[in-house]
Formats: sequence, C-alpha cells, structure tokens
Amino acid sequence: MNEPIFWIAPIAALAALGFAALFFWAMAREDQGTEAMRTIGDYVRKGAMAYLWQQYKVMLLVFLVLAALFAVLAYPLGAQNPWLPFTFIGGGFFSALAGYFGMQTATRASTRTAAAARSSLSKALRIAFRSGAVMGLVVVGLGLGNVVAWFLVADWLIPQTNMEDGVRMVLITTTILTFGVGASLQAMFARVGGGIFTKAADVGADLVGKVETGIPEDDLRNPAVIADNVGDNVGDVAGMGADLFESYCGSILAACALGAAAYVLEPSVQLKAVVAPIAIAGVGILLSIIGIFLVKANENAGQEELLRALARGINMSALMISIATLPVLFVLGLPNFWGLWGAVVVGVVTGIVVGRSTEYATSASYAPTRTIAAQAEGGPATTIIAGLGIGMLSTGIPVLAIVIGTLLAFAFASGFDATAINLGLYGIAIAAVGMLSTLGITLASDAYGPIADNAGGNVEMSALGPEVRARTDALDSLGNTTAATGKGFAIGSAALTALALIASYIEVVRIELVNSGQLLLALGHGISVNTAQASLTDFMTFYNVTLLNPLVLVGVLIGSMTAFVFSGLTMQAVGRTAIQMVEEVRRQFRDNPGILQNTAQPDYERCVAISTKGAQREMILPALLAVLTPIVAGLVLGVGGVIGLLIGGLATGFVMAVFLSNAGGAWDNAKKYIESGQHGGKNSRAHRAAVVGDTVGDPCKDTSGPSLNILIKLMSIVAIIMAGVTVSYSLF
Amino acid sequence: MSEKHLYLSLIPQALIASMLKPKDFGSYYAVGSWVHVQGEAIFFEVDPSFRSDEFPFHLVEERCVRQPNGAPKRSVYLAIYRVLSRIPVSALGNLYLVTKDGRTLELRREDYTPATEETLHLYQEFCPITPMVASLLEPHGFCQFITNPSHPINVPRIVFSQLRLGDLATDPEHGSVADLPYSNMEHIRDVLIELKYNRTKSSKLVLKQVKEGVLYRMLQGGFYVGDQTDFAFYRFPALDELENTHRDWWRSAQISSYNL
Repeated sequence: MNEPIFWIAPIAALAALGFAALFFWAMAREDQGTEAMRTIGDYVRKGAMAYLWQQYKVMLLVFLVLAALFAVLAYPLGAQNPWLPFTFIGGGFFSALAGYFGMQTATRASTRTAAAARSSLSKALRIAFRSGAVMGLVVVGLGLGNVVAWFLVADWLIPQTNMEDGVRMVLITTTILTFGVGASLQAMFARVGGGIFTKAADVGADLVGKVETGIPEDDLRNPAVIADNVGDNVGDVAGMGADLFESYCGSILAACALGAAAYVLEPSVQLKAVVAPIAIAGVGILLSIIGIFLVKANENAGQEELLRALARGINMSALMISIATLPVLFVLGLPNFWGLWGAVVVGVVTGIVVGRSTEYATSASYAPTRTIAAQAEGGPATTIIAGLGIGMLSTGIPVLAIVIGTLLAFAFASGFDATAINLGLYGIAIAAVGMLSTLGITLASDAYGPIADNAGGNVEMSALGPEVRARTDALDSLGNTTAATGKGFAIGSAALTALALIASYIEVVRIELVNSGQLLLALGHGISVNTAQASLTDFMTFYNVTLLNPLVLVGVLIGSMTAFVFSGLTMQAVGRTAIQMVEEVRRQFRDNPGILQNTAQPDYERCVAISTKGAQREMILPALLAVLTPIVAGLVLGVGGVIGLLIGGLATGFVMAVFLSNAGGAWDNAKKYIESGQHGGKNSRAHRAAVVGDTVGDPCKDTSGPSLNILIKLMSIVAIIMAGVTVSYSLF
Repeated sequence: MSEKHLYLSLIPQALIASMLKPKDFGSYYAVGSWVHVQGEAIFFEVDPSFRSDEFPFHLVEERCVRQPNGAPKRSVYLAIYRVLSRIPVSALGNLYLVTKDGRTLELRREDYTPATEETLHLYQEFCPITPMVASLLEPHGFCQFITNPSHPINVPRIVFSQLRLGDLATDPEHGSVADLPYSNMEHIRDVLIELKYNRTKSSKLVLKQVKEGVLYRMLQGGFYVGDQTDFAFYRFPALDELENTHRDWWRSAQISSYNL
C-alpha cells in the first residue's frame, strides 16, 4: 500500500476491538447483585441467545442457498462477480458476529447496571454506557476491519493483466462493494425480525398482563415479561447494530467505488480518493473512543446533567473528527481537499441536525408531542389525527437537512461545478462517511438504551428500594431520548448511504458491460464513447434515464409502492405474532392459577419461542419483496427502470421511515407526558385516547419505520450485485 | 386470634365469614381461587365477636370450617343486601383496599380533624350507593347531612372518600382542570359554581354512578364511614409512602383496563 495514511484504518479497527474487549471484561467483573437479580438476568440472556441461535440457523440456510445460487451465476454462467459468494457470506457473518457480541454484552450489562444502581448513579451510567460502547466499537471495528481486509485481498488477488490502472481500481472497489449485500441481508433479518419480535412480545405482555389481568408492567408473574425484555435487546441492540453495520460499511465502500470512478483517468490520485473514506472512518473510530471516555456524571446528577454528559461525549467526538479529517485529507494530497473536508463536515453536521430534529419531534419537552397530548382530550380520533399530522410535519427538517447536506457536499466536492457529477457524487458519499464516522459513540448511546431499560425492569422485578428505582428511572429516561435520536441518525445515514449506493450502481454496470464485451456506448447521432471511460452523463444518455422514459417512470412508481407494501407487511406481521402471544399468556394464566398467586413460575421460554418463531416466519415475505423487486425490475425494465425503482424507493422509503418513527415516538411520549399528570393524568379520558395512539404507534416506530432503512439499502445493494444479470438478460 | 373472620364487603355489599386472613381473603376475593375472575374490592374487617339477630351467624359455626383436605374455608356468605346499614361503625375494624390482581392495602382508623378553611369538596360514595357528589360540607358535615333522616334523600350509613378538585376547590369559575381525570369536567365546574355562588344547596349530584372504580390517584385524605352518631376516618397514605412502603400495591392500583 503506497499511502501510509491508509494504515490508520486497520490500527483504528484493532483499537476499537481492543477497547470493546476491555470494556466487556471490565463490565464482566462487576457485581451481579442479588440471587433474584441474577436469575432475572439469566432468563433474559438465555431468551436473547435462544432468539439469536434460531435466527442464525435460518440465516445459515438462506445464506448457503443464495451463495450457491451466486456461485452458479458467477462461474458457469459468468453473469455475476466471482467474488460475490465469498464476500456475501463474509458480510453476513461479520454483521451477525457484531450482533452476537452486542447481545452478549447488553444482556450481561443490564444486571450489573441494576446492581451498581444500588449504590451509585455514576457507576451505573458508566457500566451501561461502556457496555453500549462494546456494540458501537465492535460494529465499527469489524466493519472497517473487513473493508480493509477485503480491499487488501482484492488488491493482491485481482491481476493487473491488460487492464489500465484506473479501471483495475474501479474493479477492486466495485468487487468489495459486494461485501455489503451479506451485511444488508443479515440486517434485514435482524431489523425486521427484531422489530416483529419486540412488538409482538410487548403487545402480548401488555394486552393480557395489564389490560385483562390487571398486573403491572415488568411483573414477573407475566409469562411474556422476559420476552418483552429480550425484545428490547433484539430490536435496539442486534437490530440497530446490524442496520448501522450495513450503513457504515455501505457508505465507506460506496465512497471508495465513487472515488475510484471519479479519478479513473488519474491513477495517481485515484488511490488517494479510495483511501480517503477508509482513513476518515479510522480517524472517526479513534476519536469516538476518546469521546466514550468523556461520558461521566456526578453522583447526584439530575436528568439534565446526564443528558449533558452524553452530549459532551458525542459532540466532542464530532468536533474532533471535523477538525482531524482536515490534516488527513491534506496529507493524502487530494486535489480540492478543502472541498472534501467541507463534505465531511457537512455529513457530521447533517447527522447531528437529523438526530436533533427527531428529538424535537418526539420529546415531551417540545411543542409537537405536547400538541398530541392536548389533542388527546378530544378522544382517540383527534389523537390519531394529531399524531399523523405531527409525524408528517416532522419529515420537513430531516429531509431538508439531507437535501441541503447532499447539495452542499456535491457542491464542495465538485468545486461548485455542476457538470463534475463524478466528483460531486464522491462528495455525497464522503458526507455519508463523515456522518457515520461518529458511529462508535452514537451507536454506544443507542445500545445504552435497552441496557438501562432492562436494568430498570430488573430492579422492578427484584423489588429493590425506591432510591435504586429512582436511579434506574433516570438512566432509563436518558435512554429513551438517546434511542429517539439514534433512530433519526440511523434513518438519515441510511438515506445518504442509499444515495451513494445508487450512484455506485452505474459503476458496477460499467464493469459488467466491459465484462460482457460491450466496450463502446452508442449515444445516438453517430456518437460512441469508450465504456470504461464513459461519464455518468453518458450512461444516463445511453440508458435514456429521463423522467419521460416510461421504464424509469414505472420504476419510480413501483419503488414508491414497495415502501408502502413493505410497511404494511411488517405491520400485519406484528399483529399476527402478537395474537399468538396473547393466546399463550392467557393459556398459562388459565392452566396454572399459581402463576398469578405467585406460587408457581410462568413458562417464560415458551413466550420467547413464540416471538422468535413468529419473527422468523413473518419476515419471509417482506424479505422476499425487498430482494426480488430490484431483480424483477432489472429483468423487465432494465437499468433505467432499476434506477427509477431505487430513486422511488429511497424518496418514499426515507420520508415514510421518518414519518412512521417520529409519529410513533411522539404518540408514545404524549402518553408518558399525560401519565406525568398533565391533561388529567393516568386513567383520565385523555390518557385512554393517548394509549390508543401509543398502541397504533408501536409497530410504526419499532417495526415498520426502522425496517424501511433496510429496504432502501437492501434494494440498492441487490440491484448492484444483480447488475450483471440485468445487463445480460434484461428485456429492455 | 380467632381462626374465623368476618368481612364487610362494599363492592359488592356483603357480609362474609372466612377462615382466610385479611390479605389472603383480599387476594381470593379479587381473583377467585382459580384466578379466573378479577375485580377490585373494598372491605372492612368486622369485629369477629360482633353478633346481631339481623344475620344468620349460626352459619359461621356450621359452614365456616376446614375442608376435608384441611384447606381453610374461604367464604361463607351471610348476607348480600342492606348489610352496611345493619353493622354499627363501632364494630368495624381495619379497611382493606384490594386491586384487580389481588394485592391488598390495609388502612387503620385514625383521628379525624376537619379542615378549617372553607373550600369546595368532591366525594365518591361507595356504599350503599355509588354516585359522585359535590359539596360545600367537609367530610364529617357531609356524613351528617347525607345520613340525616329528616332529609328526603338520605341513607342510614355511608362509606365514601374525598377526591381532589385542584384549583376548582377554591376557584370553580377560572381554576385549571388540567390534572383532573373526571369525565364531563364542564358539568362539574357548573355544579361547583352553583354551589359556591348560589348556595341554594349544600350538596349536589355530579354523576349518578362512578364506573371507573376507585380513583386512587385522586384520593384526598382517605376513606370515611359514618352515620348520625358515629364517624370513622381511615387515612390513605401519601404518595411518597405509597411509592416507598406500599410500592407493589400502588403499582397494581395504577393499572386499569385502558392503561397499556
């Protein structure tokens, strides 16, 4: 490797994994509390592991079948990248491994956080946050480590032969881009399955436990209570981790591919452009680790101070990354390094704006959620209308932030030259890398949420004293805020990553055309250009990618429809699995009266198994939709149709994800706001209406909304890996 | 201590003999022996030595005995109609509040000191009828008023609690209703304005029947039982005490059918 700065990345990846191990062992040495606390913690951990193993078994089967299919397409038919079967399995394996480590840590940490809360808030915060950091650091460590490893292997194994230097690097970067498909499919399993699991358990526990039987939340007599606690980890640790693992790898890989394409005619600069996103990610990891150490609070910290402690870590990391990337780009010697640095800063700022806008839309401290609470006085109908309205309005700031971020990143990187499309798109991908460069610490704050939540549940079920509950309540409340911000960050980064992946699609099409022997693009009027050196505009002309082309228009409409159908499928999946859970909890109460009398123990494992199997079964259809739609669109509509499909899916999916997540979050917090005593407090008419809103919002914010992140990325990455098939066998 | 207990249930009204101790009886009474039923309950423990010709106490000796398998007899109903009116306040012991899932809170009798400042009051009656009534009278005065046989509307004995009115207690015209969970707030406001400014009546009906069960969150002071001669007060714990000392009961009491 001729660029020494490249080695920041493997060092940073190793540092991330090293600190993750350090934090894990430090957490593992902490006191686990009383016998009751340990027992409850064991139930949750065993449930979580049972879910993971069931999911991994299904995944293994799916991955082996698909890898075999890719191998057939790649070797006998020559219609697929020969690396794909291996990168595909690698992507899935390492994403699953990150989820496994995250779950192992989170489920152990909640017991220890609860135990620490018996004596110290500060200690409990440190254990919970640094355990969350294990997930964050494992995701970035394994993600960047894989990017680095695949890049070095591809650089070593892909022969120079008679290819020009520039084309070879495009081939290398588009080859390692296929790593994303395994990560993406695993993310689909983790996010959609996790979303269905967590809401089915939650609804089942609430409907029978609270409504029918009248027992409180987090009551050990409820057979679904452990499944509910497991669900928090499954959704917000494994699901969120896999989602962001994919975004993280996808953004870096797309930036590498676009960098290689932008400087295809300047091989001496090209390598620097490929190394830049990898180095930026490395710097981001190192500074995120420093940020993690800045998160600490005083013993008597209130809610405000806890929030400040967390914000200090994240904001300082973001600031340090913004400053430190400038010398990195300068040392690399990229032309227009100021513009690329501007794109990095734009990405970092956009991530913060999107996160903050989510907090504004969903926190009870601000007007939108309070408006829903006020409307609840009119009954369920006005509550639903208000929530829908607030959810729709809340799309404004994040979408505009991404729009402005995209335009600024394009402008900075292209030197304000609208015709320099390759450079501009590279800038957009660099902005996505910049946004995700803080992932080590932002994901730590996401994974912290379920740890604090489970710690609160453990304290409640173990019947510890009120001062302990007050401490875990403070940590839990902080976790709710970070979870909302994290969801916004995940959606925003998914949108920017998908945009970069769509831009990369054309680069893969270029390689596939060259591989298939089409060395010239006929642009009409007797003009032809060399395929290997054709610009993006040339490709758009060649495939007639204009809105007046019915193939493109049809693709846009189908992409848009797919986002809606996908949301509908995931929402209905929650309902079906929840009904099974309801029946099981009812059956246990009916057959074993001792459960409610506290003389017999419920069968927790059976409820975990119902959610697990339900999640696996119900995600088949949404997964098939996400995978098959771009393949069929490619075969029927061709490259233009696929681009339309991806644009339609991104435009609708992104806005809808923001809408669903924010509406659900706002309904949830409006209910909590009323429960704090406003508008009649608990059990008032307004509260009843708010409960209806919250129930409607649950699958929106925890299942369908977050799953749309995966849809828009998975469709893009499937389109990329099937580009060879599209180019070879498309009807148009 | 006697193995046999007498309980006066208010929801629904009944006199019951049982071999279960109060908390066990509360759990059994709320959810049944097979936990196939549910429903909150309020009951007094009645002095086990209390006897009256009004009730078939011989059934206590005959039927309230251990079962062949040694299990205690859970309930023998002695009466289900006009029970409160036939048991003097002096025979009533501790009051027990039972949540839907069978958790029981014990309230002991305490001295009652009437408040001195003049404010409006809202009462939830539990037995023998279950309306919500607004009044100018403090609890003891209200008890005297409602059990006064010279009034056309009276009951011989009554169990009720006082509910918080917030700002409306002093300013029914402009007071905020933000934290009040009662249905039809404007009607309550009208009734309170009528009471405060027109003073044609000392008490006025707000709601014919409270269907929401016991509004524990809104309780002010506690529970009262009395007639023309006797009056007893059972203090309801303050929020801190509920959170810290009676946490399980309080969490359970906060749950209701629409509380997801």
